[in-house]
Amino acid sequence: MIGGLSRRGFIKLGTFSGITVMFARLPVAKALEVHSGQHATDWVAPDGKVRYRWDAIRKVTGEKVFARDFRAMDLPGWPKEQAHAFFIKATEVDKTFEGVDLSVLGAGLQPDRLLLHEDLERDGVRVPQPADLGVEFYGKDFLTPKGATPPMYGQPVALLIYHDFDRFVMAKRQLRFAKDVVRYGKVTGLEPPPNYGAARYVRIGGASPADPPEFSPMQDAVIWGNFDGDSAVWPPADPQGMFVPRSVQPKHRGGGAAPDAAKVAQETYEPMRRGMAAADAIAKDIEAARSNPGKLVLRRQGFSQSIDPCAMEPDNGNAWYDATTRTLHILVAAQSPYEVARVAADMVRGNTRFPVETIELLSGTTVGYGSKDHSIFPFYTIAACFYGDGRPVRMANDRYEQFQLGMKRHSIEMDLTLVADRKSGRFEILKGLYTLNGGGRANFSFSVAQVAATGAQSIYYFPKSDLAGVALASAAVEAGSMRGYGTIQAMSITELLVDEAAAELGIDPIELRLRNAMRPGDPNTQGAVPLGDPRNVEMLRRAAAHPLWVQRDKAKAAYDAANPGRRYGVGFAQVQKDYGTGADTSALLLEFDAEGKITMRHCVQEIGTGATTAQQVMVQRVLGKVPDVALFGETEFEQLPLVSNWEPFTITQEEQDELQKNPFWVPFILPAMSASNSVYFIGFGTRQAAQFLLEHAVWPAARAIWSEGPAGGQMASGNVQLSDLRAVPGGIGGGGMSPIPFERIAKKAHEMGLVTGVALHCFSRWEWAQAEFDIPGTGRRTLPVDALAVRYGDGAPAELKRRMTTGGYDYIKRSGVRFPPAQRNNAGVTTYTPAACLVELNVNTFTGEVEIMSHHSLLDTGTVVVPELVSGQQQGGVAMGIGHALMEELPLYADGPGDGTWNFNRYTLPRGKNVAVWTQTAEYLDPLTEGAPPKGLAEVVMIPVVAATGSAITHAIGKRFYRLPFTPDKIQQALADESNAAPPGYDAKPTDKASTTPAPAATGSRAAMRPGTESVA
Amino acid sequence: MSLEKRPLTLTINDKPVGPIDVPVGMPMIDFLHGYLNLTGTHFGCGQGVCHACTVMELRPDGSATESRTCISDAHFFNGKSIRTIEGHAQRDANGEVRELTPVQQAFIDHFSFQCGYCTAGFVAGATVFIDQLKRKPVKRAELETAIEASLDDHICRCTGYVRYYEAVKSVALATPGCVVD
Repeated sequence: MIGGLSRRGFIKLGTFSGITVMFARLPVAKALEVHSGQHATDWVAPDGKVRYRWDAIRKVTGEKVFARDFRAMDLPGWPKEQAHAFFIKATEVDKTFEGVDLSVLGAGLQPDRLLLHEDLERDGVRVPQPADLGVEFYGKDFLTPKGATPPMYGQPVALLIYHDFDRFVMAKRQLRFAKDVVRYGKVTGLEPPPNYGAARYVRIGGASPADPPEFSPMQDAVIWGNFDGDSAVWPPADPQGMFVPRSVQPKHRGGGAAPDAAKVAQETYEPMRRGMAAADAIAKDIEAARSNPGKLVLRRQGFSQSIDPCAMEPDNGNAWYDATTRTLHILVAAQSPYEVARVAADMVRGNTRFPVETIELLSGTTVGYGSKDHSIFPFYTIAACFYGDGRPVRMANDRYEQFQLGMKRHSIEMDLTLVADRKSGRFEILKGLYTLNGGGRANFSFSVAQVAATGAQSIYYFPKSDLAGVALASAAVEAGSMRGYGTIQAMSITELLVDEAAAELGIDPIELRLRNAMRPGDPNTQGAVPLGDPRNVEMLRRAAAHPLWVQRDKAKAAYDAANPGRRYGVGFAQVQKDYGTGADTSALLLEFDAEGKITMRHCVQEIGTGATTAQQVMVQRVLGKVPDVALFGETEFEQLPLVSNWEPFTITQEEQDELQKNPFWVPFILPAMSASNSVYFIGFGTRQAAQFLLEHAVWPAARAIWSEGPAGGQMASGNVQLSDLRAVPGGIGGGGMSPIPFERIAKKAHEMGLVTGVALHCFSRWEWAQAEFDIPGTGRRTLPVDALAVRYGDGAPAELKRRMTTGGYDYIKRSGVRFPPAQRNNAGVTTYTPAACLVELNVNTFTGEVEIMSHHSLLDTGTVVVPELVSGQQQGGVAMGIGHALMEELPLYADGPGDGTWNFNRYTLPRGKNVAVWTQTAEYLDPLTEGAPPKGLAEVVMIPVVAATGSAITHAIGKRFYRLPFTPDKIQQALADESNAAPPGYDAKPTDKASTTPAPAATGSRAAMRPGTESVA
Repeated sequence: MSLEKRPLTLTINDKPVGPIDVPVGMPMIDFLHGYLNLTGTHFGCGQGVCHACTVMELRPDGSATESRTCISDAHFFNGKSIRTIEGHAQRDANGEVRELTPVQQAFIDHFSFQCGYCTAGFVAGATVFIDQLKRKPVKRAELETAIEASLDDHICRCTGYVRYYEAVKSVALATPGCVVD
């Protein structure tokens, strides 16, 4: 349920301790993954071995699977006629927009509708501004108003709609590179949005890692900053003057009304001031270390480039506004259809020109690596469809358009200082400044900046750290949430720096890492202690013993001698990546009928990772068979009429204590879909539901069956317990009992009137909420879920059946609940997965080209659900990392993708020959215990290969690189530059050619980062 | 500019199509999508670089070749015979899949694709490759190189290629006449 919306209109929950809780009337929005319905179960063998992906046959035979595959005629209830739309976009960003000139199209190819900002504004069609996502998260205007300056390259300025497919195709082609279509006016200079935010994480640990810190973000405060031009400024230590930060939006993705900056400044004034004093102290320590021969101080500037995710499916959507029924039908390609549904409702609410009472949202299989998560594209699609004159309107980027409008990975300028003790090799201080270029639309830029800063520590414990993440706005194409989320950039530079430190200290690079790796119980740079054993040490030891590492110098000598002109190198890196958001949820319904048919309705959405396969396998592991019917992408469960105030990250303990008295209230309802959250967090709900049915239906039914017959049956003389139950092919066994097919169990369970269906919701703020439920016929249960509804079997007594009034289920109002304390929001991330990589390569010293000969990845997966899916993520992640390391990059401004000319001919993606496709290997650590949870890993797998490649190049040719990508150009120049030996400790200049962005001036002035010729207004 | 249309006639998946009046200059992929609702062939780049849009062109001599539909006009295929992704598997009278081709079966057995967007192109490319091997087998020691040479142009962003290539290798080794010692 979205926001507790109901056909009754506004719901006022009431006033609790002075807090009024209201829910605005929003149209009912529902979503369903297209084509997820009935499916054959051949894909999984009775013993649970997965033969192929659940969606494999549809995908390999060309059936419609992606939203992009569908046309209006394919969608039940939609009109057959399909209209098509596309944008005209601005490619100049220092002049006003005055209009468009379509004369180049001639009379025959003019659009049926031409929309400009003024049309949308007149009709109240505006960019949604959800309060919980931060200021102008989705930007300010869909189209640039006349007389205004486009905020970024590639900003749409006009929307063209065609009823006829032929004319649409030919017109689009005609306009693609046409000049003078966009009319500009006077020169104004650049007008991007205001900078997005600055946050600083300072920690001075106690005498040992286990001691309370002198100062830490979790214990004391995050320091929020503001801007002077493009330089971050921080609260002054001066106790006079009130400092108001630019933004105090916390780093976790979405969810939490933007706190009032001035209010936060007032409340945390004192701890922030102390934090700045701590930062000062750290700066002094660094200075002292410089003149201390017993210490090593290394300071380096690093850079990670702008990347396009290049999901092979470009952004697309199809929408139809039915004015007669006031229904908005939307088909989206989105990683979080739930998020689209709720924001869409927000967008259309109250529109009198295009009134909407119902939204029906369909989502198709998609792929995005983060770029289709919280993207503006679905809302452009909705805006367009209002002008379809009754026809559905389809928008589908071609690749030029995708480069021009699609979300990018942030480019980051980094300034990193490491202080270590020379004798022990122990790290003492890490200080870093991470300046991200967020482009012209906010998206999660500030959050990514925070995650970059807090991830910079990689796998090491630092007694002292001062890490700042700064998100600048600019005229570049929007950068946003993308696989890696700031950590691929930050951790790569840290790993390269650690390698240089090893060389300076004369310590083996892995040995140095061993001395400094976080141990169980060590806090991170925010002061939070990660969950469980980080297993860094174990992974480092395994890497150290790998033949590639052990033999690297010998192999190098042999290879270099045998291959004149080429030089061989081996590099290593290890990182850990958080997974989870601090407001992780899952919701599903799992039930079986008397014939044993299992139905699952699940919130998970398929984004290519195979999550829809894995969730079903989780059910099979417990119940013995996969669901017969599985529906995915569900955003509304009638059985769970939940409400929320949508602020899981900023809610106060007092607010939570009040709101939780409502047994329908939860801190957040449904998750966004990223690969790193499906197996553990979303799967948690799945495992709970399956376990619930096992305990309350399968076990009593099995017990009854095994007790049949004289003298209490085959069970009577033993002591079989619930814990003995095991899934067996097609059913349940265990404890030496004869296996029972699931169908027989189902029949028995229904006869006995047991609980035969469960719908549940769970929530984690770095620990799972727990609640008590008094279930009629079963008793009181304490479960790690915050909402529960049950269905009683066919044989249940009438008084139980009468209770099933909520979507055919009995919603059990929890009698007690313990949500994780609000204060845990300061904990930062506590779930991590480590990953490491060894890279073997050679460098062609004539061309500068790098040939990756092989690579070996190490991963801690926890319990694996479907091994082939895990290995696929790992193989794909490493390939993406190789692209980041060696070949992919985009200019940010005038010659960048915003000009609409970029495509795969200019943007080089890794091919099979670039990734050591035949020689790569991988190993997984065994789970520490049976039943250890699975770990989210789809982001971490792409990170260590980047720095490992850089270090391998250094091993090969003796030059160090801190600016990505490591292109042949940079390598050739480094080889040619005689004065470019690896420099000793202090403030060395960058060792390679300038990146495609001009390096910012010392004050980071906007002018230095921008192409404009005029002064900025 | 007005739309000049010409009649287009061809064979798709063993069935005659047309004559249909199609604008001169319309890319084949737009014709497949917009006119025939054959959307299994996916659009990747529009430049012929990524090869997601590849179909098989079936020559009169029985051989097959890869053909990119994003950079070829629909009229380029006039009089030709092509196989799109929808036409590989055997289907029954209701259109339900009865049997996959060896390449398709290998791709699903090996978990070769993830999102699946590039898969139609890989099926075409791999099928053409196996067909070429049957006519001109390679030595076992050269098989991997031959697979790379044949499929290297096909871009995949999800998988890192390993499982695609291994699947093709398994088909080559299992298909008589493709690989010699």
